[in-house]
Amino acid sequence: MEVPAIAAAYEVPVSRSLRRRDPRQGTRWGRFVLIGVALAFLAAFVLLPLLVVFAQAFSKGIGVYLAALSEPSAWSAIKLTLTVAAIAVPMNLLFGVVSAWAITKFQFRGKSALVTLIDLPFAVSPVIAGLTYILLFGARGWFGPYLQAHDIRVVFAVPGIVLATIFVTFPFVARELIPVMQAQGKHDEETALSLGAGGWQVFWHVTLPNIRWGLLYGVLLCNARAMGEFGAVSVVSGHIRGLTNTMPLHVEILYNEYNYAAAFAVASLLAFLALLTLAGKSLLEWRQPELKHGTRRARADLEK
Amino acid sequence: MSITLRGVTKQFGEFAAVDDVNLDIPSGALLALLGPSGCGKTTLLRIIAGLETPESGQVLFDGRDATSWPIRDRKVGFVFQNYALFRHMTVFENIAFGLKVKARRERPPAAAIRRKVQSLLELVQLDWAGERYPAQLSGGQKQRVALARALAVDPEVLLLDEPFGALDAQVRHELRRWLRRLHTELHFTSIFVTHDQQEAIEVADTIVVLNRGRIEQTGIPGEVYDLPRSAYVHRFLGQVNELRVEWREGRAYLGPVDISSDPALQPGAGLVALIRPHEIDVVDESAGWRATVRDVRVIGPIVRLELGAEGRPPSEPLEAEISRERFDIGRFHVGQNVGVRFRRWQIYPADAVLVSDAAA
Amino acid sequence: MRARPAKARRAARRPVIPGFGLTLGYTMLYLSLIVLIPLSATFIRSLGGGWEHFWNVVTAPRVVASLRLSFGAALLAAAVNALFGLVIAWVLVRYRFPFKRLIDAMVDLPFALPTAVAGIALTALYAPNGWLGRALLPLGVRVAFTPLGVVVALIFIGLPFVVRTLQPVLEELDKEVEQAAATLGASEWQTFVRVILPALWPALLTGFALAFARAVGEYGSVIFIAGNMPMKSEIAPLLIITKLEQYDYSGATAIAVVMLMLSFALMLGINALQSWASTRHGAT
Repeated sequence: MEVPAIAAAYEVPVSRSLRRRDPRQGTRWGRFVLIGVALAFLAAFVLLPLLVVFAQAFSKGIGVYLAALSEPSAWSAIKLTLTVAAIAVPMNLLFGVVSAWAITKFQFRGKSALVTLIDLPFAVSPVIAGLTYILLFGARGWFGPYLQAHDIRVVFAVPGIVLATIFVTFPFVARELIPVMQAQGKHDEETALSLGAGGWQVFWHVTLPNIRWGLLYGVLLCNARAMGEFGAVSVVSGHIRGLTNTMPLHVEILYNEYNYAAAFAVASLLAFLALLTLAGKSLLEWRQPELKHGTRRARADLEK
Repeated sequence: MSITLRGVTKQFGEFAAVDDVNLDIPSGALLALLGPSGCGKTTLLRIIAGLETPESGQVLFDGRDATSWPIRDRKVGFVFQNYALFRHMTVFENIAFGLKVKARRERPPAAAIRRKVQSLLELVQLDWAGERYPAQLSGGQKQRVALARALAVDPEVLLLDEPFGALDAQVRHELRRWLRRLHTELHFTSIFVTHDQQEAIEVADTIVVLNRGRIEQTGIPGEVYDLPRSAYVHRFLGQVNELRVEWREGRAYLGPVDISSDPALQPGAGLVALIRPHEIDVVDESAGWRATVRDVRVIGPIVRLELGAEGRPPSEPLEAEISRERFDIGRFHVGQNVGVRFRRWQIYPADAVLVSDAAA
Repeated sequence: MRARPAKARRAARRPVIPGFGLTLGYTMLYLSLIVLIPLSATFIRSLGGGWEHFWNVVTAPRVVASLRLSFGAALLAAAVNALFGLVIAWVLVRYRFPFKRLIDAMVDLPFALPTAVAGIALTALYAPNGWLGRALLPLGVRVAFTPLGVVVALIFIGLPFVVRTLQPVLEELDKEVEQAAATLGASEWQTFVRVILPALWPALLTGFALAFARAVGEYGSVIFIAGNMPMKSEIAPLLIITKLEQYDYSGATAIAVVMLMLSFALMLGINALQSWASTRHGAT
């Protein structure tokens, strides 16, 4: 390679006086400002709301707090919330595992459309989710007359609440499992098959242990959302006190009755649940760092 | 611009990456920092650039203390091992970057920038690649862009961190030659880091051999190769055969070869001789140390012979390199009995060799 | 080379791992029952009264006002989140300070906290007698029961989406590229604007879009703080419920369909954005 005439390219530098700032001073100052802004923002928008819940809950003393929680309608709200979660979460767990298996172990056309479909609930307002079930099972819905004739209550009853909750929460487990299983590939399963294991055995002994933490993570998020769902359930439940009120709905009722201490008392239980969820999430992320932020990037890989 | 390092030390926790280094680099030098991984050469380079701050010591640019100067004020061009090109910018924009970020009063007008970038592109023979993105270039091309980018701001010092490590042999060879020519034409001070002694010898005017954060030897390539001052340098700069010096009845031997006349000999235990393969003569069986030819490798213009010398364990053969002509004359083959003679050797304390062994 | 007989070719394409039909079938069944059929009911019902009726409903002033509030507030909130989310993600990835891990975990609180709880908490906070509302009152700023309250609630909701989308991208930034910029004489600001920001754009836009999508349909955290006055501080989901309670199914579904169409368009946009991001400049 020749070195062509480089007069224009490079000017032999004459000794120059080099500026001597100490930007380390500036950097440190800038750093503090940024950290300050971030912390102030988080304090105002995240920390304070959390503190307010507990402050208000205990504002009238612990006696009132406990009374609010042991009140019969509060208690039945708690039971209903737990029941709905106990049904919705396992169903979504099954769906999550099955759909993740279908998507990550096989090649087929329309895979990315399917994945988009699974993400659908995130694009739908929970109120609209509840609306769709009213349209199907409400008194004037498609199946309304049929249900009334057979005295089956779906909307304004527990089944409707379960359905609405399932709609809103089914993506959670699938979304966590898909990148995890995608990253693990098919090697382990194919190896087990070649050694003579049957389909179920492969799943139980090979796949399941591998996806343990992703599964737990998805279940954790699914459960948090299921217990906290408000909009969809609000539309479908009919707000029948003592019968079709979940905890979030009960909070709303108490609040609208200006019974603030009681409302926040029940809310504090939900807030506590949220904190437990966050703790569990952090623990799992610490144990398996791929879970953190894994979803988005892996999705892009899927679509290739 | 001349660079002086005085007592520079850099620690990472307990580990001293650079340990009390003193070095004078005259303006216009083409210097290689040579050593194995972990010897501190890259750290030293980064200290000069301002990418690391030493715990103690001074870095002087033209006699001025630049130790605490921030990176952007040092006016050094740095070429990273992995190119560090701006992925979202075209080749042209990459090279123009340094010019575009200059302060308003120093910034040349757009037309001047364009001309300069154009001439740099021609310099690195990538004038066709101006509108390409780095991802569309090969490793060698990316390296040239990185070089052009660094040169665009007229640095007084060019620092290169293992610039050719990730490239094919042929490309490496061409770029090495090219860097030398560039340096000859442009006369900037240039320091590059490498673990490849071949590269250091081929390119640099001065080689600095580093070991565990300290300078072992500084000198021109011939000096460092032929007159190594320590076993470490001797071993690093090329292949060596190692033989223990044996004392028998007050005389020193390498195998059966009497070397008592060597002035470097010191009485006492633990001496070792290092001999380069081409410093071994393979002669007739009767004229030297008896040995059997165990392997013959013809490598272009030279031939490498693996010799099992009498009295040496079979796991420690001697490696000799002879010219093709000599090989053709001697007609050496496996199993043949020959004689070994040493044209030259160098003596070192035995523990020095072992210590360096552990480090390398 | 002779082509393999059709039977062999088909066998070659059959997957090795079992369960394809079963799992795909179950997946499609579940999706149809839970999502597809209910949603199509909405679409069908909305056109039940004919296209003109649909149009009238959707362009009624009250409906337009509610849609404008829902989308407008969501847009503003997402923009605020984009800015502050960037600052927060930057600070969490690049700097060290006490309790950083705890604070990092807290960023997910809006994601984990039930929306109703968030709603009453934010209201209590920003009401004129609340901790923050009290401080803002002398400044003439009223948050609770105004559109501003809606924005505040939506900021709360959308924050984790921006931060969590930006964090992995920030973590993967090549330090050497920034160092290269410094050796070429760029100041910290110049490095940020010319080198770092271009690498962040896709993630920033994605995070913005995600926060926006989430905020548009938000109900629980908003209705307590919003004031819910028609034409002024009434969000679209609330209007849907109101119409439902009046048995105005076609009205409710019409609004729902408009919201759905816009949300779906948004989702497609997000997906397109993500595939664009992973292929730009022939990515390496």
